[in-house]
Amino acid sequence: MTLDQLNKQSASEINSANSRADLDELKTKYLGRKGLVNQLLQSLPKEELKNQGRAINSLKQTIESRLNKQLKKIQTTQSTKQVDVTIPGIKPPTGHLHLISEAIEEITDIFKTLGFVRRRYPEVDTDWYYAEGLNIPKDHPARDDQETFYISDDVVLTAHTSNGQLREMERMKTPPIKMINIGKTYRRQASNTHNPMFHQFEGLLIDKGINMTHLVGVSNYFAQQYFGKDRVIRLRPHHFQFTEPSFEVDINCHICKGTGKVEGKRCKVCKGGWLELGGAGMVHPTVLKNGGIDPKKYSGFAFGWGIERVIMMKHNVTDNLRELYTSDLRFLQQS
Amino acid sequence: MDIKLPHSLLTQYLDTDATPKYIAEKLSLCGPTVDRLHKLEKDTVYDIEIITNRVDSASAFGVAREAATILKEFKFHSKLVNDPYRLTKKDLRDLPTNQPVDVQIMDSTLVPRFACIALSNPDIKDSPQQTQSWLNAADQRPLNNVIDITNELALRYGQPVHVFDLDKIKGSKMIVRESKKGEKITTLDGKTHTLKGGDIVIEDGEGRLIDLCGIMGGGLSDVDENTKNILLFVQTYEPKRIRRTSLYTQERTLASQLFEKGIDPELVLPVLIRGVQLLQERTGAIINSHLIDIYPQPPQTKKVSLNTDWLREFSGTNISDQKITSILSSLGFTTANKVPNLAVTVPSWRINDINLPEDLAEEVMRVYGYFKLESILPPTVLTDTTTESVLTDEIDAKHHLVGLGFTEIFNNSLVSAASFSHIGESSERALKLKNPLSTDLEYLRTSLLPSLLQNLSDNRGLKQKQLAIFELANVYLPKDKKLPLEQASLALVTKGHSYAEVKGYLETLLNKLHLDVTFTPAENAPSLFTPAQTAAVFSSNKLIGHIGLVNPEVSDNFSLTGEIVAVSLNFDLVSTLRQHLHHFKPVPTTASVIEDITINSTKPVAELLEKLKSAHPYIYSVSYKNSHQNNHTFTIEFNNPKKNLTQTEVNSIKSKIIKGSE
Repeated sequence: MTLDQLNKQSASEINSANSRADLDELKTKYLGRKGLVNQLLQSLPKEELKNQGRAINSLKQTIESRLNKQLKKIQTTQSTKQVDVTIPGIKPPTGHLHLISEAIEEITDIFKTLGFVRRRYPEVDTDWYYAEGLNIPKDHPARDDQETFYISDDVVLTAHTSNGQLREMERMKTPPIKMINIGKTYRRQASNTHNPMFHQFEGLLIDKGINMTHLVGVSNYFAQQYFGKDRVIRLRPHHFQFTEPSFEVDINCHICKGTGKVEGKRCKVCKGGWLELGGAGMVHPTVLKNGGIDPKKYSGFAFGWGIERVIMMKHNVTDNLRELYTSDLRFLQQS
Repeated sequence: MDIKLPHSLLTQYLDTDATPKYIAEKLSLCGPTVDRLHKLEKDTVYDIEIITNRVDSASAFGVAREAATILKEFKFHSKLVNDPYRLTKKDLRDLPTNQPVDVQIMDSTLVPRFACIALSNPDIKDSPQQTQSWLNAADQRPLNNVIDITNELALRYGQPVHVFDLDKIKGSKMIVRESKKGEKITTLDGKTHTLKGGDIVIEDGEGRLIDLCGIMGGGLSDVDENTKNILLFVQTYEPKRIRRTSLYTQERTLASQLFEKGIDPELVLPVLIRGVQLLQERTGAIINSHLIDIYPQPPQTKKVSLNTDWLREFSGTNISDQKITSILSSLGFTTANKVPNLAVTVPSWRINDINLPEDLAEEVMRVYGYFKLESILPPTVLTDTTTESVLTDEIDAKHHLVGLGFTEIFNNSLVSAASFSHIGESSERALKLKNPLSTDLEYLRTSLLPSLLQNLSDNRGLKQKQLAIFELANVYLPKDKKLPLEQASLALVTKGHSYAEVKGYLETLLNKLHLDVTFTPAENAPSLFTPAQTAAVFSSNKLIGHIGLVNPEVSDNFSLTGEIVAVSLNFDLVSTLRQHLHHFKPVPTTASVIEDITINSTKPVAELLEKLKSAHPYIYSVSYKNSHQNNHTFTIEFNNPKKNLTQTEVNSIKSKIIKGSE
């Protein structure tokens, strides 16, 4: 093919191309390593090469610019074509973080903002850290409430994260102590709505001059960060062997706005406008002593709340804790 | 423990105009929690939770004492009335001189206080309607007027009371002693218990056991419609023994739950007097003996010091000295000395419970109202907030996996023996619970994989062709020490993905965590894997886990078909070996030449790759393309950071590499 033929043919072919793929093909056909332009170059005898070299190079540029021009034209035409932009997108396969992981992260972040450092302590622990050191003697009736799984007489599967209290005191040796211990806990409880395994987060703050209002402050901060700005907490009396005084922490109900009534009827979610968040208290002097800390110099508070419980309160996912432990991907892939 | 208390019984001791709803609300706020109110036709019943240290409030009188103090704080009219502690022996007037029974107490520590009196000729019939409805409201069955009085007394005062048919006690003799191992007693509910020894029992004059003390009376001496002489019997027992007996005989009676928490011995006599009065009123019985009251060691008065300045600091309030003393006195405490250093005398019913200033702080502040406390953030700041890196690494890894399309699952740490045998392992090396709930939840996991395979199996019905799930949790590996090693472990399981794809996911994950790893054909892989298609994963020469095809036999145990690829990593080790400081490599500023190179070799591809990477300083990167039998093709980016490479230079490097690989 002559230079002129090549010029004309390429012009007509490029100008009639109507897709990007066609243009790509034409680019290879004319300008590729073994394309028509190169073929022409190679077919020329040496002396002609000198004469036509410049012309061939200029043809290359012409073809290049024709290709670009046509591409723009195609793009312009295509972009004016009406497309149904409401057609659902093609979804990539996605993974899903479990609600419990999400909550653990959220809770970690909230307490981190307040300067609590996250810890992890054993789930399988000795009776000392789990009970006796927490002021619960071996034959005390308080052990009834613990619903504990035993590995041996002296080793348990912890039913609360409070075993971390003494361990943290031993690790830090002297206050200030400010930790949030998040872990798995176990209760020997047969029911359709409880799982024998669940998670707790345990806060512990020990320093000089720590008082009850600080527990209120930290609880309120958590409630507002986790549940929403309009939430508040209150303390009520309770009893735990390892705190004195001990409290039940309630949070106002978001459904009835703390009134206990919805359209004149009793609120179905709460008890009189309040929901139980969990237990808390001022660290018992005996526990401080057992942790090697002088209760005359230092005081502190502790709380241990259920992760699943706060998830259920926040997301209304279910009132059955067991559902969080489903393996049904139709549920898990919703998160 | 929970009690059910009718409002009409409460108001026998509480004079107030507050409604049951109001009382319930304020009690919950400052005292015992009222879980629920039940409306009856003519009454309202409170469901009250009695916490273990407050057995003194497990009765109508006990709740009234709390309510009287608390309602006052809310400016309501309230007054405690009919206080039984005011009753004395004089209220029984002149007593006959004869002994009711001959009592021998073999060990006085068993029975801190022992009181009884005989009455004769009770007219045994049904109880008055009011008593019957109170007992019904408390879920107790009315029997006859004599027995009902004993149950009513327990509801009124929280002191269990028993009554014997005196004529059925052989030899009119009672020997209070420890039980011997193997002794048998049949209790009133018809159950026969073989005793373990060390229980508190009463033997009559013929050596028969007539009472399993503090738990339930023996069937030999119960009151029936023919009873002519009765013995009214009020005691306190050593709490620990009662608790032990009650637990192992599984007789968690109301009496045992009260006795095991340590009730006030000072209340024994008042309750006995009230019992006599009620028997006289309702059955016409007359007192037929003098009073036995064995009380060798009344508890000593207990004093706890309270500094009111400390209390204000500890509570973070400005509560006044006057308010502190008035609350304490309303609860039955007496205060002496000058503020701020008070000497507080504990009332008899709180002696076991109040030991420290903190205990008094609770009493004062709960009545003052915890809800009045201000909300203040503590000023404490830690100078060092570093913690185990695994806690943050776990979160990172989870997010990377989710980004790669994996779904997270939380499984129980407790598993069955079958979960071990399903993967060809034995449960013998796992921790076993002493008191499992069921055989499904008997062992602590040593691997996460059986749970994840089960999860895949549970989702067999899904239409999704590809499934990818993971779990990051502790496994529990028994050690010679007392406590096991709790090791963070990461497991991935996929269905419908090839080994190469899953390996790609794993490599990406580990790359994201900046962990350099090598894969080698696995030796001694766990039996769950197919040996020929499993790699051991190493980092810094340490084995961090395995990736491989699940053994078809194992898949079959979980009713799974098709290609199942699994990964198991020791995540603690991953976290330890992870490079937390990652350095970036500058992007080349000179032109690179990218060329394929094919090498013929029988060596593993990973080895060839490693060798290529360091074959020449101008090799910027190498990636694997494909293989045909022993011909492996790699794509190499050549770059000289100082100047552009020429084709001739590249060709010369290439031929050196190929020569070197031969």
